[in-house]
Amino acid sequence: MTTLLLTLAAPLQSWGVASRFPVRATQDHPSKSGVIGLLAAAMGRRRTDPIEDLLGLRFGVRIDQAGALVRDFQTAHRADGASAPISERYYLGDAVFLAGLEGEASLVATLDGALRRPMFPLYLGRRACPPAGPIRAEVHDKPLRTVLETMPWRAARRIRRKDGRAEVPVDIVADADPVDDTRGDVVPALVRDVPQSFDPVRRDYGVRRVVRYRTLISNPDGARHAEPERVTDAIGGHDPFDALEA
Amino acid sequence: MTRTIIDVHVLQTLPPSNVNRDDTGSPKTAVYGGVRRARVSSQAWKKATRTAFETTLDRDGLGVRTKRVLELIGEEITRQSSDLAEQSIELAKQIITTAGIKVSAPRQKERTVEESGYLIFLSAAQVRALAALAVESARSGQPLAKAAVRAKFGEANSIDVALFGRMVADVADLNVDAAAQVAHAISTHAVSNEFDFFTAVDDRKHGADEDAGAGMMGTVEFNSSTLYRYACLDVDQLQRNMGDTEATARAAAEFVRAFLVSMPTGKQNTFANNTVPDAVLVTVRGDQPISFVGAFEEPVTASGSAGQLSASVDALVTQAKDIHDAYGTPESSWVFGIGDKARPVEAGGERVSRDQLVDGITQAVRERLGAVR
Repeated sequence: MTTLLLTLAAPLQSWGVASRFPVRATQDHPSKSGVIGLLAAAMGRRRTDPIEDLLGLRFGVRIDQAGALVRDFQTAHRADGASAPISERYYLGDAVFLAGLEGEASLVATLDGALRRPMFPLYLGRRACPPAGPIRAEVHDKPLRTVLETMPWRAARRIRRKDGRAEVPVDIVADADPVDDTRGDVVPALVRDVPQSFDPVRRDYGVRRVVRYRTLISNPDGARHAEPERVTDAIGGHDPFDALEA
Repeated sequence: MTRTIIDVHVLQTLPPSNVNRDDTGSPKTAVYGGVRRARVSSQAWKKATRTAFETTLDRDGLGVRTKRVLELIGEEITRQSSDLAEQSIELAKQIITTAGIKVSAPRQKERTVEESGYLIFLSAAQVRALAALAVESARSGQPLAKAAVRAKFGEANSIDVALFGRMVADVADLNVDAAAQVAHAISTHAVSNEFDFFTAVDDRKHGADEDAGAGMMGTVEFNSSTLYRYACLDVDQLQRNMGDTEATARAAAEFVRAFLVSMPTGKQNTFANNTVPDAVLVTVRGDQPISFVGAFEEPVTASGSAGQLSASVDALVTQAKDIHDAYGTPESSWVFGIGDKARPVEAGGERVSRDQLVDGITQAVRERLGAVR
């Protein structure tokens, strides 16, 4: 089995799974519909084109840097000056995710190529969220869960250094496996996050079973003894304890 | 297929200002690289860009101008419903005449399809909408309503629909995929919002027997920032939306110009923050759009006599070089800006004036779209 691994990082991302109308929420990790849509866009598919071949991919994400919720208040006006409904849009600021898709080697290779020369501009959930630089894509000849559970931590280096532990706990959210995930400690949840069609006139989503669990991964900048958490003043990164280090 | 993507990278300094605020009046912010940044939302700057078109754009030069409207709409009808191909010209004629435009036999003997008496200006989006009306009418057997057809002709300015997609359109069935992508602008450095405390005097209040209190008082929040602004334009998508190569080239260049000079109007009268970009890098790539926002994930800090702008320019130049080393250099690039401030960016492209930039983009798009695809 081959897995395509994407690193999704940007100042803002927004992965809505159930928002319609004025409040556009985001969940705390990339959605399958959002990432499948991104891949379809890279391949140059129109919204009305079929996506069945992509729906067979097993999907999972790892939350390497959870980021912070950003609420955006938005007003809009029609050309004649009339007000459109006021809307609230939520984003994840400063987050980093690993998203993996497991499938046939040939399909994975095609997707990997498409991401290098995407036919449509790509974005992380919503159009106003371009990725910070090109989306890093890698192909691994391993099952999805293995990749997600063994890849070293990809949070910002600043965060990895500050944490300092050799191993850190991260959350994984993945398509439930009918065999492996019948253990007592994980209970699969149903989410309405399988795109049947991106056609604007009949958007349609099915449900999938997901599991969420925590696992330890290695910190490439860790292995120092863990330091106690210190609160630093955000302005200019001033740390009052710096004077005592030296 | 060759792809054509224009990336626009802008560094722009704003004095104390509040150009884009939330429902509590605070300037919008976001956290990036672990620190709070000033933020100007993408929709705010798109609106400003759109408003800027109105002052710079000669609308007649964009979109398709033709007397051969029947073929134009007929071809679209056939594309939407191939079973109507036989009647497509007849259906197109119904649409055009319902709108009140007269058609007559052309002068050239060899042309059999009727033409309008004068050039008609239509965007690709309008052509699609008119064809859809014709198809609908043919399917349902309902005659065309004059008002509905005329409304399609009066649809919002075609260039902004082509660039920004539907935005706030009244017609929900007019689907146009936006060709432009605009990121939220964020400051390259950490900010904290500040408060301006104000009192307002009651001019009619005087005399010793009255109190000396103010008529009202309050606070206005603001911050100052060096913003990194990023937009990319999918020129191929723009061409699909505009339908015409020449119009696409001009629209692309106009978009870049309008994006550079525009400024959201929030609290403009209070702060007069009418700045222009300090340093601009515009590139044409053939593979994918690339934002350089990663240059500022680690917030820049002002050092000594050099302000945040020069540190930001240096970070941008470094990022551009690293990206170009890893992902290949762009097909063409231009540098634009103010004096020495933009000088370091010249490593990444040719230094041009604003007019040269507009001409350069127009020319580059013309050449690339004219190429065998």
